[in-house]
Amino acid sequence: MFRYYLSLGFRSLRRNPILTTLMVLTLSVGVAASITTLTILHAMSGNPIPHKSERLLVPLLDNLPADNGNDDGEPPEQLTFMDAINLWEQKGAFRQTPLYGLGPAIDSGRDDLPPFFTEGVAIGRDFFAMFEAPFLYGDSWSSEDDSRGAKVVVISRSLAEKLFDRGSNPVGKKVRISDNDFSIVGVLDKWDPVPKVYRLIGGERFDTSEDVFVPIRTAVALEFDRNGSMDCSSDPPGPGFQGYLKSECNWLQYWAELDSASSRLAYADYLLAYVSEQKALGRFARPVNNRLFNVREWLDSRGVVDDDTRTSTWLSFAFLLVCLVNTVGLLLAKFSARPGEIGVRRALGATRADVFRQYLTEAAVIGVVGALIGLLLTWSALAYIRSLDDSLALVTRLDGTMLVIAVVVSIAASLLAGLLPTWRACQVVPALQLKSQ
Amino acid sequence: MLKMQNLSKVYRTHMIETQALRGFDIHVREGEFVAVTGPSGSGKTTFLNIAGLLEEFSSGEYLIDNVNVAGMDDNARSRLRNEKIGFIFQGFNLIPDLNLFDNVDVPLRYRGFNSAERRRRIEQALTQVGLASRQRHYPAELSGGQQQRVAIARALAGSPKLLLADEPTGNLDSNMARGVMELLEEINAAGTTILMVTHDPELAARAQRNVHIIDGQVSDLEHETRRALASLSTTPEAV
Repeated sequence: MFRYYLSLGFRSLRRNPILTTLMVLTLSVGVAASITTLTILHAMSGNPIPHKSERLLVPLLDNLPADNGNDDGEPPEQLTFMDAINLWEQKGAFRQTPLYGLGPAIDSGRDDLPPFFTEGVAIGRDFFAMFEAPFLYGDSWSSEDDSRGAKVVVISRSLAEKLFDRGSNPVGKKVRISDNDFSIVGVLDKWDPVPKVYRLIGGERFDTSEDVFVPIRTAVALEFDRNGSMDCSSDPPGPGFQGYLKSECNWLQYWAELDSASSRLAYADYLLAYVSEQKALGRFARPVNNRLFNVREWLDSRGVVDDDTRTSTWLSFAFLLVCLVNTVGLLLAKFSARPGEIGVRRALGATRADVFRQYLTEAAVIGVVGALIGLLLTWSALAYIRSLDDSLALVTRLDGTMLVIAVVVSIAASLLAGLLPTWRACQVVPALQLKSQ
Repeated sequence: MLKMQNLSKVYRTHMIETQALRGFDIHVREGEFVAVTGPSGSGKTTFLNIAGLLEEFSSGEYLIDNVNVAGMDDNARSRLRNEKIGFIFQGFNLIPDLNLFDNVDVPLRYRGFNSAERRRRIEQALTQVGLASRQRHYPAELSGGQQQRVAIARALAGSPKLLLADEPTGNLDSNMARGVMELLEEINAAGTTILMVTHDPELAARAQRNVHIIDGQVSDLEHETRRALASLSTTPEAV
């Protein structure tokens, strides 16, 4: 019978084209508005590495002076170079990497490709394994490269395709980065964690991953300027880049990977010991105030999903509700025009349940059509948002999950809207309708 | 086939109570062709609605094909209606956006027949009413008489034991009415019991039995009396 009801539902779309068009449009606009905002919220609030969420940690240490004026009780959101390097060298976790952003210039040496600036990060070799960055060619640099600050680099697939022949393996070739020749040891395949969890500070959170990944010691030795934020509670002890290396300025992000989530306490103890040791050396004037965040906690604490996005999602669902109420009215109008047919069907053997199923299926058919048009509108709206702001490209992609959600939302909405009109249709007294036909 | 004993039907609103049927007794045997006549408001339609299980009665007993319908729920009444009763209405009551095939298909769908069986029955019913060649046409493309034939085909397709016809020729001209009446007589001759409400004494006279309803009660008339009534109503002197 479901196929019969379905065919009646599709046939009924043609019965009153204006009313049907109004209903489908009302529903599809509501679905498009809600799914567009939900898509963005879904992407923004996603966890790009959920299976490691409990094991990847961000440590924060409170190196603020004792008389810090604006004390909100929270430690700085980044580490000093000294602390980042100390923690990295001590290898207190299974894997670890310091990280700071770069804005290197790339010189291809080609006439047809003038030098250009791009995005990069200075990191330790563990970074790739920690965040499971996929390699297209080659691999990460060695521990030795890390220690001696070798001029090696891992580049993105898009940079490789820009600099070399598409499809060729550039591992072993040289690339000139900020006036220094680097040997390419690896090429990352397309890799766009959303949000870009490893660099939530001082970078675009929803941008594509960087083009250039260099060993942090190399970047520091070559005095590659940081491309990101810095928070200094006191003046650096010396001028220029070298001054920042010895300062209490916080400008590096740091990630540690534990072998298991249960090691978190042990790692916290390790940090406590580290800070105590530093206190003995005259640093860390305030009481110990360390923090540890796993991936989910870090995303939440950084407020990756801003209040505007949440509010607009709520508003769009409120709009869907308004559309739903309108659809209820239109369905009532559509169904109430057919008491004669209901009377005839009842007289010919349809139970109230049959009528209920038939009319609810009809409402669902409107939902299916609404979903299809709604998806088209959603896709257009996301494309429009992308055209307004390139940095939102990764969060304005309509993925499979959202496609399914859009269809489910639309059908559920139409079924919900169809409940009252369908119930009313079932109350038709056939005897009255048959005589009045 | 149909037996009502001391049946009553009371319509109640918060202001008024109307006794549509009272002490209503009728026994229609299998294969009979019974015409139901009576003045407007006498309770003919109420009787037909109760007989067709479209309305419930207030008290009394009603057996259809030896099945007592008292206390049946909506599902059971719908199933019984679908299996045993066919309806023919004055206004045809075809579904306008379904073609003839699909209109006749409606009761068969609720019966649960498979596709092949439904097709066989639809084609047979439409052939019986002479409209097999027009099964893809829509009701609006047919004359009133043809539409009523489709309604008859729809009523017949499920092989009901009882056919309830409410003024089946009321919206037709005399030629078409005659054709429909002949069709009903054929159906009755094939064994289907027919209960027909009519205002037309001529049509009533063609039935085997005439049940007259006055003030919600049955007054069963003898065949000869009916013939006399029919002739009176058609002779100028009687007017």
